[in-house]
Amino acid sequence: MSRLELVNVCKSFGDQPAVSDFNLTVENGELVSFLGPSGCGKTTTLRITAGFEAPDSGAVIVDGIDVTDLTPNKRGMGMVFQGYALFPNMTAAENVEFGLAVRKRAPAERRARVAELLELFGLSHVAGSYPHHMSGGQQQRVALARAVAIEPGVLLLDEPLSAVDAKVREELRTEIRRMVTQLGITTILVTHDQSEALSISDRVVVMNRGAIEEVGTPGQIYAEPRSAFTAGFIGAMNEIPVRVVSGAQGVVERAGRRVTVQGAAGLADGEPALLLVRPELIEPLNAANGTLNGDLTLTGRVEVQTFLGATTRLLVREVRQGDENQSVLPSARRLAVDVPSAAAGNWPAGSEVAVRIPVGSSRVIADRSAVSPAPSTGPAAPPA
Amino acid sequence: MSGTSITGEATEETLPAVVAGAHAAGAARRSQNRKPRTPIWAVVVLAVSVVYFLLPLYATAVFGFSTGKAFTLQPLFDGLGDDGFHSALILSLTYSIVTTVLALVVVAPTAYLVELRFPRLRATVEFLTILPFVIPPIILAVGLSSVYGINSPVNLISSDWAPVLLYGGYFVLTLPFVFRAIDNALRAVDVRTLSEAAESLGANPTRTFLQVIVPSISLGLVSGALLAFTTAMGEFTLAALLGYPTFPVYLLNVNEYSPHVGKALVLVSFLITWAGVIALAAVARRTPGTRVVRGGPM
Repeated sequence: MSRLELVNVCKSFGDQPAVSDFNLTVENGELVSFLGPSGCGKTTTLRITAGFEAPDSGAVIVDGIDVTDLTPNKRGMGMVFQGYALFPNMTAAENVEFGLAVRKRAPAERRARVAELLELFGLSHVAGSYPHHMSGGQQQRVALARAVAIEPGVLLLDEPLSAVDAKVREELRTEIRRMVTQLGITTILVTHDQSEALSISDRVVVMNRGAIEEVGTPGQIYAEPRSAFTAGFIGAMNEIPVRVVSGAQGVVERAGRRVTVQGAAGLADGEPALLLVRPELIEPLNAANGTLNGDLTLTGRVEVQTFLGATTRLLVREVRQGDENQSVLPSARRLAVDVPSAAAGNWPAGSEVAVRIPVGSSRVIADRSAVSPAPSTGPAAPPA
Repeated sequence: MSGTSITGEATEETLPAVVAGAHAAGAARRSQNRKPRTPIWAVVVLAVSVVYFLLPLYATAVFGFSTGKAFTLQPLFDGLGDDGFHSALILSLTYSIVTTVLALVVVAPTAYLVELRFPRLRATVEFLTILPFVIPPIILAVGLSSVYGINSPVNLISSDWAPVLLYGGYFVLTLPFVFRAIDNALRAVDVRTLSEAAESLGANPTRTFLQVIVPSISLGLVSGALLAFTTAMGEFTLAALLGYPTFPVYLLNVNEYSPHVGKALVLVSFLITWAGVIALAAVARRTPGTRVVRGGPM
C-alpha cells in the first residue's frame, strides 16, 4: 500500500509527444483508471510508472521516495499485462510463486502464500496446470494472483480484461474491485472501455493526446463532464449548440428561448457553447408533464429505434417549425432519447414525438471547435 | 578425395531423410482422416526419394559387411577394435560437445539481447551469422592457418592452445544453424512481455533469462544443439587442413587402406547420428511449456 505521485511526467517518441506534463497523485489503496482512446498515452504513462520506459522529464514518486531512476525489478510494483504474460514453462502455482522465490522467502512460507492466493482467486483446482491448458479467465486470474503475491506497493493493470470475453470480463471486473478493496493495494488500471473504468474506479483520469483531459469520480465524469471530449467519450451525449447570454447568471439562448443552465460561470457573454444532455434525461412529452418549466422542447420524428436492454434509444430528427434560428438542433443533428424499453412501442420509427430537454440539470461547456462535432450517439450504454 | 563424399553423406543424409519421413507420416495421417486418392506423382516422388536415399546406404552395407562375396561382420569388428577408431571418435565427440555448448552459451544470450534491447541490430546480426554459408570452410581453414600458423607471430597451431583454433572454426560454422534455431524460438514467444513480467516480479536480467526465457525456448535450444553437434561431428575440411585426426579424417584414412572396414564404420557413424537425432527429438517432445501463451479459449 503506497501513495503514488507522478510529477510533470513528459515522454516523446521521436517527434511524437506521447505524454505531456502529466501530474497525478494516487492515494493509499485508491483504484484509479486511465481512460482514453488508443494512442492517448495511457499505456505509456503506466509503463513509465512501472519503469519500463524512462520519462524525458518529470518524476515517479512512491511514498515520498523518487523511484524514477530505479529499474522495474527494484520498484516493488506488481503488473498485469494485456496478454497475461504467464510463464509458459511454469504451472499456475509456480507462476504465482515466482516473485516470492525471487525474494528468497522460505519454501514453507511461499507454499502457504501461494495456496492462499490460489484460494482467493478460485484457482486451487488448476494449481498444477500449465497456462496453455487454462482458459483465458483462469490465465488472467493467475496473472493477477502472481502480481499480488509480492505484496506490491502499487498494482498496475494494463488493459487486463481486453483479451477475455464479455461475460468473464464483468466477473473479473468485480473481482478486481473486491480484491483491491480487500487487500488495500494502490492500483492503476489502464483501459479504453469506459464502462469498465466507471464501474470499478475510485477516480477516473480521462486522457486525450498524451494529456489529462479530466480527473474525477465516475459520477462526476459521467454527470458533469467538463470537456466535450470527456462528454463524448463517456457514454452517449447530446451536444446542443447554444449562445451564452450571461455567463455570470448562467443564461444561454437557443431557438429564441433563454434558459438557465449550470457550468456557464466561466464562459464569456456572446460566445458559442455546447449544452450537454444525456439521452436518459430527455423525456417524451405527454399530458402529465406537458408544462415547459423553463426547459427546451423539441418536436420531431423518430428515425431509428435501438434496443439497449432496459432502455431503448430513439434517434429523433427535428421537424422544423420556421427557419433555422427557431430550431433546437442544427439540421444535420439527431437527438438521442432513451426511453424504457417497455414503453418504446409508443414511439415506433416514423412516429412523431415531442420531448423535453431538462436544461436545469444539464451542463454547458465552451464550444472550442469552430465547427461543432457531430453528436455522440454511439453504442456505448450507461454503466450498469 | 572419394572418401570425403562418404564421410559427408553420413550427416548430410540425415536431414533429407527426416523430411522424407515427415512427409510420409503426414500422408498417412491424412489418408486416415479423409481417404483422398494419393496422386500418382506423389507416389513416384516418394519412391524415387526412398531409392535415392536408401540405395547408397544399402550399397555401403553390402560392401562393408563382406570381405569378398560372403556376408561377414568381420570388418565391423576390425574397425571397432582399432585404437585409432576410439581416439578419433573421442576427439570428435569432445570437439562436437564443446562446440555445441560454446555455441549455445554465446548465441542464446546474444539473440535474446538483440531481440529485447537492440531490435535494430537484428538485420546486422542475422547477416553476420549467415556469412559462414557464403564463405566456404576451405577459405576459413586457409585464413586460420595463415593468421595462427607456424609462420605467424601468433603461432597457435603448434602451441597448447591449438584446440582453440578448431573450437573457433567450428563455432563459426555452426553459427547460422544455431542462431536461426534460437532466433526462431525467441520470436515465437513474446520475449519482451515475458521479460517485463519477470522483471516486475523482482527478477534481475540473468534470472529472467535462465528461469523464464531459456525454458520457453527449449525447443529452439535443442534443435540448435542438434544442428551444432551434427555439423561439428561430420566436419572434414577444417579438421583435415588444420591437422586434427577427428572421426571423419580417420574414416577417410581407413577407407583408403581397408575399404571394407571404412564402409562398416560409416554405417556405425550413421547410426550414432541417427540415435542422437532421435534422442534429442524425444527430449524436445517431453519439454513442457513450449507453446505461446496468449488468450486461450474460454
